[in-house]
Amino acid sequence: MQEKKRSVGVFLCKCGTNIAGAVDMDALQKWAQERGDVAWVATHELLCAPAGKDFVKETVEKQPCDSVLIAACSPKMHEKTFRGVAGEKGYNPAHVNMVNIREQAAWVTPDTLEATDKARALLRAGLERAQRHEDLDSPTMECRTEAVVVGGGIAGIEAALMLADAGRKVTIIERDISLGGKVIQTEEVAPAMECAPCLLAPRLSEIRDHKNITVVTNAEVTDILGFLGNFTVKATRKARYITSACIGCEACFEVCPESVRSTFHLGMGDHKAVYTAFPGSVPAAAVIDREHCRHFTDGSCSACVEACPFGAINFEDTDELLEFNAGAVILATGGGDPDISSLYGGGDWKTNVLTMPQFERLAASNGPTGGEIVGADGTVPKSLAVIHCAGSLRPDGLSYCSGICCVNALKVGELFRKKNGEGMVVNIHGRLTLSGPSQEQFYRQQLHEGTVMVYTADPAKTTIEKAGGKLRVQPEGGEPIEVDMVVLSTGIDSSPTAVEVAGIAAVDLDDSGFFKPGHSLLQATTTTIDGIYAAGCCASPCDVSTAVTRGQAAAGDVLSRLVEGRKLELEMMTSFIDEELCAGCKMCLAVCPYKAISFDQEKAVSRVNEAICRGCGTCAATCPGGAAQARHYTNGQLSAELRGVLNG
Amino acid sequence: MAEFVPKIVAFVCNWCSYAGADGAGGQKLTYPSSVKLIRVMCSGRVDPQTVMEAFREGADGVMVLGCHPGDCHYRSGNMKAQRRFKIFSMLLSQMGIENDRFLLDWVAAGEGKKFAEVANRMHEQVVRLGPLSIRGKVERVVAV
Repeated sequence: MQEKKRSVGVFLCKCGTNIAGAVDMDALQKWAQERGDVAWVATHELLCAPAGKDFVKETVEKQPCDSVLIAACSPKMHEKTFRGVAGEKGYNPAHVNMVNIREQAAWVTPDTLEATDKARALLRAGLERAQRHEDLDSPTMECRTEAVVVGGGIAGIEAALMLADAGRKVTIIERDISLGGKVIQTEEVAPAMECAPCLLAPRLSEIRDHKNITVVTNAEVTDILGFLGNFTVKATRKARYITSACIGCEACFEVCPESVRSTFHLGMGDHKAVYTAFPGSVPAAAVIDREHCRHFTDGSCSACVEACPFGAINFEDTDELLEFNAGAVILATGGGDPDISSLYGGGDWKTNVLTMPQFERLAASNGPTGGEIVGADGTVPKSLAVIHCAGSLRPDGLSYCSGICCVNALKVGELFRKKNGEGMVVNIHGRLTLSGPSQEQFYRQQLHEGTVMVYTADPAKTTIEKAGGKLRVQPEGGEPIEVDMVVLSTGIDSSPTAVEVAGIAAVDLDDSGFFKPGHSLLQATTTTIDGIYAAGCCASPCDVSTAVTRGQAAAGDVLSRLVEGRKLELEMMTSFIDEELCAGCKMCLAVCPYKAISFDQEKAVSRVNEAICRGCGTCAATCPGGAAQARHYTNGQLSAELRGVLNG
Repeated sequence: MAEFVPKIVAFVCNWCSYAGADGAGGQKLTYPSSVKLIRVMCSGRVDPQTVMEAFREGADGVMVLGCHPGDCHYRSGNMKAQRRFKIFSMLLSQMGIENDRFLLDWVAAGEGKKFAEVANRMHEQVVRLGPLSIRGKVERVVAV
């Protein structure tokens, strides 16, 4: 049965002379007017100008039609404009469309006759298509405004504080036993030589006392499900065996008989089987290491229970499964220390060859030596060499420059002189990556204060040999240098945590294992899933200020997009599945880039979650039965457009 | 004999090649008016059946132009298109349609020049081949 043809109102825009100069507008108008499906044709000088928009509004009101077709410039330019204008008069966006006779005809076809013919073909395609258009809903969704921040390093801390200060409820989920991440393990941040603990301590106190922030430490995220505006984040909080009554007074440390290698000190110091990472940590509460605590290993000890003035020890504590609802998730899982075990033994305090993070721990006042730069045997080194690019720019290591290690490598000399007095500091470097006035100034200052820079084409070819009590460092093609200590300036690797979290959240990683942004320039803190952000070094290696900026940027985006009481506008042109036609082959599930399609086991059909669907239509192209359809780009609509373009 | 004017359909992704064509327009780069564009949201939306339909409806050449690998607006739709049309291209010649009548290529939003080049090249290619001669046969294939 042939339905009555829709009547289409056609606007022709001259765009000044842009279109009218190349296309025969009269011929086009005459041709269109003679078609049975065209209600009227209205030509105008410049439809996008205020007078033009008024003209559209008045025309569609006075001469109602089923569908409006505007032959003008690119729809990327003004489709939204005209949908808005006609929308004011009650036209559904599906029935307000453009054909692009400027960029696709007038501007690229020198011959007027040809240009007019092409414009006609495009208009015909638009008219054919208009017969097949179906109303588009403008779906909206209530959204949650809370956020979950995964990772309590500096990026996560700043993101959480910004959100919480704006009144948002935030949960920070941290894998370690307390907050602070990599920055709390360093003493000073170059080039400004800001004291890292001083920088973080007030921020950590704010977090501890903030009514909008919940901190969950010693916990791992196990699931991130959902979409912008409605995520469910599941996590396992591991048993701490100490309640929140603990204030971190350390009374139990003194009586605990068991010592354990400290991961916080990168194996360069010990803590007891009951411990905190450092005094003043947030949370303040200590944790019991179940693997080493004698209560758990042989049941022989409960000294801490007696020593605790607050009755905070709870051996009965168990792992806890937690679930949080949030509108957005900010991943701030940090970077990783590269594995350089194949280079110079990989950094070992006993051999006086340290990695950069190990050196940072030695220099840190909350470190294993209380901030003294000494050998493992307590001897004070008088001279030191720093080898740049250790494990970087190599096929078997990091393939890239992390951009932050050169300034850190220069910091070694600054700290060394500050703590150990005058002494020889030699930096063996290849390519030197320093940028901006402050880094350049810092570099010149270090040269002035005595750091000797030795260039070698490939720092990785530098050898280190024992020579008496000293280390003989030999850059390729250079003079040997004898020093007491060597620091390997390592870069920032991606973290294995990112791989885990990427799997959990179904977001993409780049080739180096960092979270891939939605757009590398415009949305640098997004991931490939809308509503999941990446801030700090998990997005790519960065310095502290960039990590902070990224955390704040992610928080800012969350604040602007998720607003209490405001609904989220969802994609209009989503896909849907005709259950009658669906054979349940699940091919659409396999190709959907957003995992927006699920399978209804009971009915044995696929179903699109339209809050997740972005409308690419890949499912529609894949579906062998025509059950999956992309709204506004259905098979029928594309066929109609094809016929219009080709048959004339 | 009248000069052969081919009909070429280009399925273009809204985010890259459509914008690339807009760019070609903005720069006033000319290309034959034989090339007509059909906008889709993603090259992944285009299926072989639609391409066959284009041939059946009178196209002498068909292009699918998507985002460069890694740049897909929808993560991986372009890769799905690539997989699909790699196989499709192999079958095309078996159906008696010359491979040169079909092109899958990548044109970024900024590549106005490339769009015009691809359009010109495709036009020349199809002109060399002449009109698609097996239209009736294609119709039967599609109908099955």
